[in-house]
Amino acid sequence: MPLLELNEVTIKFGGLIAVDSVDLTIEKGEIQALIGPNGAGKSTVFNLVTGIYPPTSGTISFKGQAINGKKPYNITRLGIARTFQNIRLFNELTVLDNVKIGRHCRSKAGAFGGIIQPPSVKREEKEIEQKALECLRLMDLDDKAEELAKNLPYGEQRRLEIARAMASEPEILLLDEPAAGMNPQEKTVLVEKIKKIREMGLTIFLVEHDMKFVMGISDRVAVLDYGKKIADGPPDAVQKNPEVIAAYLGKEVV
Amino acid sequence: MLSNFFVQLMNGIALGSTYALIALGYTMVYGIILLINFAHGEIFMSGAFVGLILVTVFHVHIIIAFLGAMLFCMIMGVIIEKIAYKPLRRSTRLAALISAIGVSIFLSNLANLIFGANPTSYPPTKEILFPVKSFELFAGAQVTNLQILIIATSAILMIILQYFIKNTRIGKAMRATSQDYDTAALMGINVNKIISYTFAIGSSLAAAGGVLVGIYFGVVKYNMGTLVGLKAFTAAVLGGIGSIPGAMFGGIALGIGEMFAVAIGLSSYRDAIAFGILIIVLLVKPTGLFGTEIQKKV
Amino acid sequence: MAFLDGLLPAYYESIIITVGIYIILALGLNLITGVTGQLSLGHAAYMCIGAYTSAIVSMKLGLPFIVALLCAGIVAAIFGIFIGFPVLRLTGDYLAICTLGFGEILKSILFNMPYVGGAMGMAGIPPKTTLLNTIIIALIVIIVMVRMERSRFGRSLVAIREDEIAAECMGINAFRYKLQMFAIGTFTAGLGGALWAHKIMVLQPRDFGFMKSIEILNMVVLGGLGSIPGTILGATLLTAIPEILRFSSEYRMVIYGALLVIMMIFRPHGLMGNTDFNKLAKRTFRVFNTNNNKDKKSGMEG
Repeated sequence: MPLLELNEVTIKFGGLIAVDSVDLTIEKGEIQALIGPNGAGKSTVFNLVTGIYPPTSGTISFKGQAINGKKPYNITRLGIARTFQNIRLFNELTVLDNVKIGRHCRSKAGAFGGIIQPPSVKREEKEIEQKALECLRLMDLDDKAEELAKNLPYGEQRRLEIARAMASEPEILLLDEPAAGMNPQEKTVLVEKIKKIREMGLTIFLVEHDMKFVMGISDRVAVLDYGKKIADGPPDAVQKNPEVIAAYLGKEVV
Repeated sequence: MLSNFFVQLMNGIALGSTYALIALGYTMVYGIILLINFAHGEIFMSGAFVGLILVTVFHVHIIIAFLGAMLFCMIMGVIIEKIAYKPLRRSTRLAALISAIGVSIFLSNLANLIFGANPTSYPPTKEILFPVKSFELFAGAQVTNLQILIIATSAILMIILQYFIKNTRIGKAMRATSQDYDTAALMGINVNKIISYTFAIGSSLAAAGGVLVGIYFGVVKYNMGTLVGLKAFTAAVLGGIGSIPGAMFGGIALGIGEMFAVAIGLSSYRDAIAFGILIIVLLVKPTGLFGTEIQKKV
Repeated sequence: MAFLDGLLPAYYESIIITVGIYIILALGLNLITGVTGQLSLGHAAYMCIGAYTSAIVSMKLGLPFIVALLCAGIVAAIFGIFIGFPVLRLTGDYLAICTLGFGEILKSILFNMPYVGGAMGMAGIPPKTTLLNTIIIALIVIIVMVRMERSRFGRSLVAIREDEIAAECMGINAFRYKLQMFAIGTFTAGLGGALWAHKIMVLQPRDFGFMKSIEILNMVVLGGLGSIPGTILGATLLTAIPEILRFSSEYRMVIYGALLVIMMIFRPHGLMGNTDFNKLAKRTFRVFNTNNNKDKKSGMEG
């Protein structure tokens, strides 16, 4: 059984069909990339999987269970975590607090627990902090724990988003353009980190523009164009696919 | 029955067109700098008092007083923006909101100091304009010449505004700025100038509303801006904030709704009704009647 | 425990009680608007519900003050949930205008309710608010707010303020949290209202209008949105300033208005915005710690 499966998923915004009956299967342990020209609907696919938009039609299932129509906070709890294309950190909170919030769905103290603070809540808070620090160490951000998120340099903000997502102990991690705006050194570090996360047993689903980055890291690559999937397969096969070349470079006039 | 309906309808439209004039200022300012300009109600109040002073102290004709009040408030609106809002343009929106509330408190209490806490009477309509007469349009359906004057004046001002916004260079720049502030600035639009124009136009319309309300109801008071301002803002939200036709429609709809509520014996709940309508509309269509839905971008 | 009674001249005692009540009210609004970022322009409405509820309980039903206080908080919170349920789905200024509208509607309803005296108001409420019980309640509210801010719950509220969509993607049910937060904030407003009612002893609907909500909001914004010490300072200053300006009672409100504008222009983040004592303390402590470690290291080398 595939870990994540999209079955004829479609979403329309007004008259625009942003994602058009897309099928996609992601197996456990894979690194699956999703590429395509600007506006092809890649981020929309992520928004569909994480429940930000409900699909107009089609089904999305995770570990065999349908998740389309579920709210984002329920989907996260099932084991799907994500980052955002246009970084969405909690700017006025510290780096550590950002990651602690990532731990939200694996903890349970409520308002009254916070006010009364019985030993169980204190224990849980300690556990949250330890786990958050662990995730920060994984992304080499532990020395920045007390900084405000907004004061981090760009590349570190992207890494912080990954750390925050990791804190929710996901089975699959959705990375939306993780390398965007990074310099070559930062990208090298990122590739290393992604490989390490995969070694921890996670499945990775990423959207990316940088072809070298995608081809170097992915097991499979799917290509979207105008909301439709036009190719899916191992990186070298996709690179040679004439339809993909046409989508990126334009068709020759015959 | 039908005639009573018509009378209330005319009352409602007359009241509503003054709401609409004030609502336009709220909606235009909000459209451009996303500020609920709480001082706008006080500009309306100032307009009413300036008109009054011009007529009673300087003995000018009411038409001159009307234009004078518009000009005075136009300048006042621009100055308020420069002093109280411009320094806060890059701060949080709440800071600007509190600043606007500060201006509002300042102006209404200044008016209290100058004119006292008691209502001041406008000179009788027959002395400054014409004797108020009722016309019977059909079986018992009456309308007064004063109502016609108020509705016509408001309509003319709104038509001029609509023409200005649609057809002039500055009007186009205003629409561009309200669509996207930063892009407009990058395209070479002098955003500061556009904001000044917006305050100038909105404030002069509010002043016009102030003088009309003064003539129509016969009294003005230092705190008249607060409740009317709130209702006009409600009208702007009702129509879809940022939308100029929305503000016109919202104002008139609110005026009619209020008068009919009074007519069916709910006069003691008059103020509650405006807000009741608003809450229901917002819950059904959160962007107001004429507002466009913005797809949240993730 | 009456040792505080008569310790201060009545005038100062009355001002301190007023400051305490406003601290309670402002902290409730700070939770809603400062911490969670949900702009409410109708906080006085919940204060009003608390005031009238407590007056009915203690005056008409003759029950003890503590019962009146609890009922005030609970009834205000019930209204908070009832109003919050539809309204908290709205965002930004739409939320603001709906809370404002509710406040005005409530005022109209009370005006037309003979049971609570209508426009004439409700008089003869027993003077049960003392310096001591105000201070105790204010301290409890402060402690609760501080603890909540540092908990998983408080963190989630800040996350909702900073980015609601990202918060939901981290597993936070934003609507449920906002509703819970609103219930706590309005409960606090109800408490403040009850103390207020039993201090001034006469309730009139017009005392709880839009301007009262604005007065409380000013305290929160002036102090620094989201900052508990800031809110306390804001409530103290804005209660004290009109008192200090009493010598020029005519110009008092004119100056108050001008001061608001001036303070916003020079401190747009509020007096205590951007100063987080908790983190300040932590940072100082860390610097101190690392210095210590360095000393130890050099000690070992030597």
